[in-house]
Formats: sequence, structure tokens, C-alpha cells
Amino acid sequence: MGGAPNLPPGFHFFPSDEELVVHFLRRKASLLPCQPDIIPTVLLNHYDPWELNDKALQAGNQWYFFSHATQSRVTPNGYWSSICADEMVKSGGCNIGLKKTLVFSMGEPSEGTETNWIMHEYHLPDGRKESSSSTSTSSSRKLHGNKGHSNTESNNWVICRVFDSTSGSQVNFHEEGMELSCLDEVFLSLDDYDEVSLSNN
Amino acid sequence: MSISVNGQSCVPPGFRFHPTEEELLNYYLRKKVASQQIDLDVIRDVDLNKLEPWDIQEKCKIGSGPQNDWYFFSHKDKKYPTGTRTNRATAAGFWKATGRDKAIYNSVKRIGMRKTLVFYKGRAPHGQKSDWIMHEYRLDDPTASGDAAATVTAAAASSDAGQEDGWVVCRVFKKKHHHKESGGGSGGKHGSGGGGDGGKAAATVHHGLHYSSSDDALDQILQYMGRSCKQEHEQLLSPHGGSGGGAGRAGPRYLRPIDTVLDRHGFMKLPPLESPSATATLTPPHLSAAGDAAATAAGDDLLHGGGNGITDWAMMDRLVASHLNGQAPDAATAADQLCFDGGAEDADGLAFYSAAATRLLGGGGGSSDDDLWSFTRSSAPAAATSTTERLSHVSL
Repeated sequence: MGGAPNLPPGFHFFPSDEELVVHFLRRKASLLPCQPDIIPTVLLNHYDPWELNDKALQAGNQWYFFSHATQSRVTPNGYWSSICADEMVKSGGCNIGLKKTLVFSMGEPSEGTETNWIMHEYHLPDGRKESSSSTSTSSSRKLHGNKGHSNTESNNWVICRVFDSTSGSQVNFHEEGMELSCLDEVFLSLDDYDEVSLSNN
Repeated sequence: MSISVNGQSCVPPGFRFHPTEEELLNYYLRKKVASQQIDLDVIRDVDLNKLEPWDIQEKCKIGSGPQNDWYFFSHKDKKYPTGTRTNRATAAGFWKATGRDKAIYNSVKRIGMRKTLVFYKGRAPHGQKSDWIMHEYRLDDPTASGDAAATVTAAAASSDAGQEDGWVVCRVFKKKHHHKESGGGSGGKHGSGGGGDGGKAAATVHHGLHYSSSDDALDQILQYMGRSCKQEHEQLLSPHGGSGGGAGRAGPRYLRPIDTVLDRHGFMKLPPLESPSATATLTPPHLSAAGDAAATAAGDDLLHGGGNGITDWAMMDRLVASHLNGQAPDAATAADQLCFDGGAEDADGLAFYSAAATRLLGGGGGSSDDDLWSFTRSSAPAAATSTTERLSHVSL
């Protein structure tokens, strides 16, 4: 999993936030087929993050799946809780979605022990609020909580990216390979000193 | 699914060409070297001498999505028929190798080497370093890749000899500036583990970087190296009052123990222990602004040797090397050695210094803060304190 058919080695599924929302979440919410149709639907509450293997789409050390927006993110052995402010997903200056970052804790809600499992949960913005840039994160969070209104059908779907934040460079695929090893950095700095001493002489 | 990289249709949404090093070497470069057909012409041949790094993005585009790194094959030719150096100059500048080549392994054996190069604008001695970085991958000599263990040295030798000729595959990217929060809204950038404050702060600063613990120490060294801060340096060196008792010789030495001992050998200077700034050198410098400044000053001392000290790169090399090998304790031991080599006439004092040096050199964990505080507090009345008491602190 994680590789599309007919793609040669080296191609990996590593979607940007925008791609996830535009090419996958929107289509799913509009009941259009996703192309490629590679992201399965997994009920978030049914599995702990380490059980996602073979159930969600695995790409590197990340797992992708569709789920339904839910307020209680309790799993068999723990729960997901927000760890930072929600972010807007933007495309061409417009808000096209909302990205929540959650951490998985083992145990009973509010008493659990935090793990290294992180989840990005992408929502489509509320239809009526979509154009309003003044929507604060807290109010949008409430809106998602108060589901059951007329337009929740399209907002019901979320797309999730789950990963173990300690599992090395595959976590951030975009970054991987774009960084210098610390050893390289040392030598780069030494090069600087070379330059300085050269110019001083 | 038909994918035409150079035509209109492209890679399906969400997919990126981001090969692992193994894929680059074992699939792409191996096929290239063997002149085999590569399924999809994703990696172009490029004449490195005719292409500026900023033109590579256009030339080596894959699909239409955003790209942060670019790949190409390049055929290396020797700079001079008789020499072994490669000519990597372009019209606007040149690629300069930095550091040592890194061996690339798959799960079984060594498969190739990676050279890191930096692009400098201008001409050789006066080039201006840019943020363009190139990783150049070459295969190990296929004849040398028999049984792994026995041929490692042979492979190294042969690949070194043959490294400046033939096909290589390159990845070019722009170096990230670590202090900047990158704008690209992608990937798992909230990778802060479920740790405490320290972990989270570090995760923020290290955005996109994945340090091992030994790299962390290196990071510190780096920070020390890249800066200079004369003013604070001088502040740190200015004497802080007298030494209560009349222990003429011992007084100033206890005030600046490491400074004194190490400086005697012309190796390096460390900030005085009683200064709160000295404590900050133990915290990873990026954790707080104040700590950063202090660490900078300390680093300045460490490297430039201050007033009459002499910067000793050999010492620095050893320090770096030991950190690189994940043997921080060795660096500390080396420092111990230095200290003891010093004045053997004053054993207890030296034990004190070496312990301090050990902490400063081997330190890095945030938890050692408190340690050093108690340590430094003890150093102030040290002249009047009994030897045993000092030693008990040392053994903490």
C-alpha cells in the first residue's frame, strides 16, 4: 500500500494538506469517486492507532483514512485529544478546510497517558461560514460539535493522517532529504571558517 | 493509469517523486549505469556545468505539484585528464564538496556513497556560499561488492579511486533555515511527542529535523561555531570581585577554574563557573533566548580562545569527532586528561576542574541545570571549603 499502480519506484503518497482536502475530502463529501481511490474508510473509534495497519492506507510511517466527524474520539484503549489550535487549510488565499492536530492518550479520558501518536484530522469548513475569514477556531470547533443541522451531511466526512511522531524521517516526507545531516552542517560551518581565514590572509 | 511526466497528464494527486536513497541507487542509478530502460523518464540527464541550480527546478520538474527537491543524472568527467578532481563549475558559480562522503547501506550491505556539495556563486577562492545543496550518489564498484565484511575496505578504496568518473544521480534542494518556521502547510509538522515542555520547545525549533541524541550535542557545537559575541565574552571574562579569603593563588582560580586550567595549555577557554551564564551553556542553546545568547558567548570562548588563548582545531576536531561517534563521554574523558596533564601538584583542585569540564563538555541534558547550580554555588566559597566537601560535589 502507499504506492499507486504503474508508478515506478520513488513515487510515494505524500499529499499536502491542500491535496488531501481538494482531491480527497471534497470528493468524498460530494459522493464523487476519488482518483486514485486509495484511501479507505475506517471508523476512528474502533481502533487504536497501532491497529491501523492493513486497515488504513499506509504511506511510509503514516496512515490515511476517511472517517466520520465525531466529538468523542475514544478508542478501545485510549482517546484522541486536541493538542494545539486548529489551522486553516488554504488554497489560493481561501480557506478550504480545517486541520486539527490531536494526540493519542492511553487510558480513560482526561486521565490517560500521552503517547507519541499524532493525528491530523481534516474537516471541510462549514458551508455557511466558508467565505468568512473571521471564523475563529473556537467557534468553528463548536460548529463541528453541534452537528445534526441541515448541511452536516457534507461536513460529516473527515480525512485523517495518523503517525508516530518518534518514528523518524518518514514522518515528514516533504522534509526528508531536504535537510543536511548535522555532520554536514558542521563541515559547512567549517567551510565558513575557511573562507574567513582565507579572506583575512 | 497513464502518466506522462513531460506532457499534460501527470502523477496522481497526492503522490510525489521522493525516492529513498536505496531506490535512487539500486533502481535508478543501477539501471542507468547498465544502460537499461527506465520505466518512466523521471530523472533527466543533466550537464552540470551548463545548468545553474536555480534552473534545475524547471528542467527537472516532475508533474505539476509543488516540489522541494529535484533529481537528475549527471556524467562526471575528470577536471583534468591526469587528475582525479571533477569540474563542477557553472557559468555563475561552482559546486564545492563539503565534509566526508557518507556510505549508503540497504538492509544487507553497502550500496553506494553520497557526497554533499554546496553551490557557491562566483569563482573559486571568492565564492559566495548559497543555500543550494546537492547530494551526489554513486554506486559502489560492482566488482567490489562481494561479501560485505571482507570487502568493505576494498570497496572503499576502489570507489574512492573510481569516484570521479561515470554516472551519478543527484538530488538538489535548498537548505532550510532552521530558525524560520517554514510556510508550507504540509506533512506532520506537529510532531511534538508527548514529552514535557523541553520536548515540545525542541520540537518547535527542530521543525522538520530529526535529531538523534548525539546530533543534539552536535547542534550545540554548531551553534557555538556559527556565531561570535565579543561583548558578552568580555563581560564573562571580567573578574567578579575578590576571593573572600587570603588564598591569593587559589582565589582567582576558583572563580574561573576551567578558564584557568585549560587556558594554561592554550587549548580553549570556558566561561567562569560562577556566572549564571555558564549554567546556560548546559541547556540546549535554542531553548531560550537568554540561554542562546549566553551559550553563544560561551561558544565563542570555547572556540576562539578569548584573549591569550589559542584556538586549537585539533582539539575541536576531537570534540566533534567524539560527538559524532556518539561517544560524548570520551570527549569528557579527553578533557579530564587535559586537566590532569596540567598541574598534578593540586590534585583536589584538578578533580574539581575536570568534573566541571566533564559537565560542560559532556553535558546537554536539561536536567543537569540544577546540578550545575549547586555546583557553581559551591565554587564561590570554595577557597574556604574543605577539600572533602568539594570532592563530594564532584562525585555528584
